Amino acid sequence: MSKYIATAAIRGSHAIVLEAEKTLSQAIKELGPDTPVAFTNTAYFLPTIYGYTGTKVQTLGDMVPIMEKARSFLAPVPADRLWLPYLGETLDAGVATLFAEEIIMGVRFVRGEQPERMPLNGIKVQTSEVSGAFTSPDEEVGAGRAAAAQSNGHYTLNGPIDDIQLRTWGIQLVDGRMPGFAAIVGCAKSNEVAVRIVRELQRRGILIFLCGNVNGRSIIHQLLEEGVQLGYDTYTVPFGTDTVSAIYPLGFATRSALTFGGMTGGQARDILLYNKNRVFAFVLALGEVDDLKYATAAGAITYGFPVIADTLIPQILPTGITTYEHVVSMPFDEIEGKDDLERADRLVERCIEVRGVKIRMAQVDIPVAYGSAFEGEIIRRDAMLAEFGGKGGITFEYLKMADSEDVQDGRVELEGPDLDTFKEGANVPLGIVVEVAGRKMQKDFESVLERQIHHMINGAEGVQHIGQRDIAWVRIAKGSYQRGFRLRHLGSILHAKLHADYSAIVDKVQVKIYTNKAKVEELREVARGVYNERNIKTANLTDESVDTFYSCTLCQSFAPSHVCIINPERVGLCGAYNWLDCKASYELNPTGPNQPIAKKGLISAEKGEWESANQFLYQHSNSTFNRLTLYSVMDAPMTACGCFECIMMLIPEANGFMVVSREDTGMTPAGMAFSTLAGVAGGGQQSPGMMGHGKYYLVSKKFIPKEGGLKRVVWMSANLKESMESELREACQRIGEPGLIDKIADGRNATTVEQLMAFLEEVGHPALTMESLI
Amino acid sequence: MPAILVPTEKWAGKVREVTLGGDSRKKVVVGGETTLPFLHFDGVIPHAPAIAIDVEDVAPQNWSPVLGAVWGDVMREGLAAWARKAVEAGADMVALTLRSADPDMGNTGPAEAVEAVKKVLAAVDVPLIVYGPGIAAKDNEVLVAVSDAFAGKRLALGLCEDKNYRTIVATCMANGHIVIANSPIDINLAKQLNILITDMDMPGDRILMDPTTGALGYGLEYTYSVMERLRVAALLGDSMTAMPMILNPGREGWRFKEAKTRDGVPTQWGDLEGRGIAWETTTAIAQLQAGADILVMRHPKAVGLVKRAIASLMATNY
Repeated sequence: MSKYIATAAIRGSHAIVLEAEKTLSQAIKELGPDTPVAFTNTAYFLPTIYGYTGTKVQTLGDMVPIMEKARSFLAPVPADRLWLPYLGETLDAGVATLFAEEIIMGVRFVRGEQPERMPLNGIKVQTSEVSGAFTSPDEEVGAGRAAAAQSNGHYTLNGPIDDIQLRTWGIQLVDGRMPGFAAIVGCAKSNEVAVRIVRELQRRGILIFLCGNVNGRSIIHQLLEEGVQLGYDTYTVPFGTDTVSAIYPLGFATRSALTFGGMTGGQARDILLYNKNRVFAFVLALGEVDDLKYATAAGAITYGFPVIADTLIPQILPTGITTYEHVVSMPFDEIEGKDDLERADRLVERCIEVRGVKIRMAQVDIPVAYGSAFEGEIIRRDAMLAEFGGKGGITFEYLKMADSEDVQDGRVELEGPDLDTFKEGANVPLGIVVEVAGRKMQKDFESVLERQIHHMINGAEGVQHIGQRDIAWVRIAKGSYQRGFRLRHLGSILHAKLHADYSAIVDKVQVKIYTNKAKVEELREVARGVYNERNIKTANLTDESVDTFYSCTLCQSFAPSHVCIINPERVGLCGAYNWLDCKASYELNPTGPNQPIAKKGLISAEKGEWESANQFLYQHSNSTFNRLTLYSVMDAPMTACGCFECIMMLIPEANGFMVVSREDTGMTPAGMAFSTLAGVAGGGQQSPGMMGHGKYYLVSKKFIPKEGGLKRVVWMSANLKESMESELREACQRIGEPGLIDKIADGRNATTVEQLMAFLEEVGHPALTMESLI
Repeated sequence: MPAILVPTEKWAGKVREVTLGGDSRKKVVVGGETTLPFLHFDGVIPHAPAIAIDVEDVAPQNWSPVLGAVWGDVMREGLAAWARKAVEAGADMVALTLRSADPDMGNTGPAEAVEAVKKVLAAVDVPLIVYGPGIAAKDNEVLVAVSDAFAGKRLALGLCEDKNYRTIVATCMANGHIVIANSPIDINLAKQLNILITDMDMPGDRILMDPTTGALGYGLEYTYSVMERLRVAALLGDSMTAMPMILNPGREGWRFKEAKTRDGVPTQWGDLEGRGIAWETTTAIAQLQAGADILVMRHPKAVGLVKRAIASLMATNY
């Protein structure tokens, strides 16, 4: 914790507590301790105090013990010479400050000084200002409000948000329709900047609370001068021109937790955690930060709300009380940008990032329809305006992780000519580079997200997408072009869909699209380098190099006792989920079907048996199985749901296994075709000697190592041998049996055990001389 | 005769008890089982399964003529009369569907929804289940209004699905209602939704699970199997599957041609009325056997038959 901030906050808390004490004792002296105190239109007493302490303050007298409590929280201001960790003291000072501020507001209510009547001093309130939905002022409603304000010479600000509005907004904050709220304290660099900040927040559906001032000028003045509509209807609520009014947003946060979190007053810890985890709020301090602002900010931090300042102040970057940074300084004039408006945009972006507010994309903003109904659409040559890739074409798609500061969310750039300039039916080079930044983004997820480009782009009406990486092939229909579709819309689609579907790991997305041949070729080489690196990395990802496996229980709806346990060196038996996919899926959906299983309690390295995996299996297989080995098919092999690409089965006579592909409809030496075998292998049973698996498992280094690996395969469906020939030859080479593939029988030369044995003996298959399997 | 030793199972878990209604109105408690359905020798079944009867806020257009014959008069008379007749027919609770909020059925809004609920609450004093029209956005709109307007009445509100659970859960938490968590015939999705709902701090004893009904001949066996597994998991001690189950044999049982078609069917099918009632009854009884705690039904005769079945299954001295 910065000593500077700690000192300022503690100093600020001393001052405000003293002020509250004076205010309170004066009020009690004048009005008596039994004078009732209430915030209008709310049923939560003084909410911050009620949330923190459970005390229902209903009279001035009730405030006295709270005041004493606030005083007891105050630590001495740190001496210049003293260097200690101050976090605890500072947070206590923050809480004392909130109590003091709420007491001051309570007394002001008693005296009729709240909601604040802000002198207009010549500001002309726009008559278009129709936002009448304010809590407290009953004398000025609707369009008449502006006129009334003009004639009274003051503008009545909002008191605490009333309970009806709390329910409307609170539920949206909790269910995610409203991404969060911003408490803006102070005064922006200029009116122009103030308006821009508010507009940028509104555009994202973020609720805006306005308070405080710098040298008497508040952002509220700035917005009114510019004719910005304030009120519930525009999600912009002016609370007050002093810092004390910042207590209202925190009272609102407390009441949200009490209402929608099922908590009662006094459950301080629960209320604070609720806000940290569910109410995405932050404080944006505009202009100079004085002691009282620091002290109030310390109070906000207890709720998990970080503070972003547009001035130079010490930062508190380590996380702890808040999810990410506590205090971030972003001096306005030093923000990169061509003008103040761009700087304001960056500032808002940074706020969103620091609080981890997730922005929801309501829809894909393109001139053609979008939806999964269009995914399978075929665009014929005569209907297409242009194509990219395909025969003789040059394309690539590359998604990479980037640093947050290098990604401007939503930016789409096109370098090179657009659809307007192409000759009808032309084949044009196309490069798509997607840059993604996110707190939870990992390098490993690049390929997982990159693979989504296919179906995301395919969802647009009149756009066809096939393939991936440098074999992508895109066609755009004439009709879509005529309705205004241009290449930049490919970027809009990716931006919107990555946010919509992967918000758990994606915070910002920018897309660059290239159509210049030279540039596309140049960047394609870069991308190819990365594809290659990824291939190598995937190949090198070993079971030993990780400490976690993942489960997959996606298929339990029809195979209740089946649990896939997926290690890096074995793809799921359906072939659709590998270890990286499961890892990403867990990040995206932490309560979903892919759960991490820590590799713990090794029972046998040879068989690949771990205690933790056994326990997981027992718990998630309806207590059906209590053992599983990852490296053996003869002892407690993995169960199967029925989605397997292949079935492997022991042929005792041959001392080896046959591997049958699900695309193989012919007879096998076991006397059963695939469909019959599937009935035995599937359904979540554990049958030693028989196992369903993905086809790429065949070329894994962890292919049934306990039984001797690929050398045990004596028969294989011909289609597998053909479609995976190069991979299989490589694997045979690797195990020092280069001719092995030709020694494995298939349906063309053996469909009975007798034929199989004759074949194996003729070619001298190694399995015949290996250790007996049974 | 030598005494037969009945093998018993010692379960670690228990189904949660959920209370509907109350607050000066009748209340109904469901759940609380410590054993599989009706195995009284094995554990405790503290509450008999309850029956709710469907009412809708506009006269339904596509109900079977058999149902039209029973309810036609009250459908015309209005919601209050319909609800009263449902209670007379033996309903332990009333299940009101706010059908008129469906964009194709009038697209009414929150005010009409509140009015409809008010009518039913005034007409009968049994607990009330309120379903939205089944379109997530509209469900949110009308159910939130109903929830706010009748805070503390412990209504059961649904459906609360993957898509909109946050809104429905938040409003139920704020107003003391019960959520009906609906998932599409899948044990893991059912469990996941319960986890997501309790993650929002909703107490487990204010959740009912609707694992989705298939009717006899239309997927009942899937529902049966999922229910059975949910219940076994609950008894094994999984608290996230231990919510009481609510099923809709009425809605599903009367949806298909067997329950709607009078003419042009094989004579062996028998008369339409008996066939429809048998369809609903059989669906409902199978669900009782799989662990249903609340059955939402439609035909009074089917209700009568199922109530008789419940009474004999709940008798411990057989």
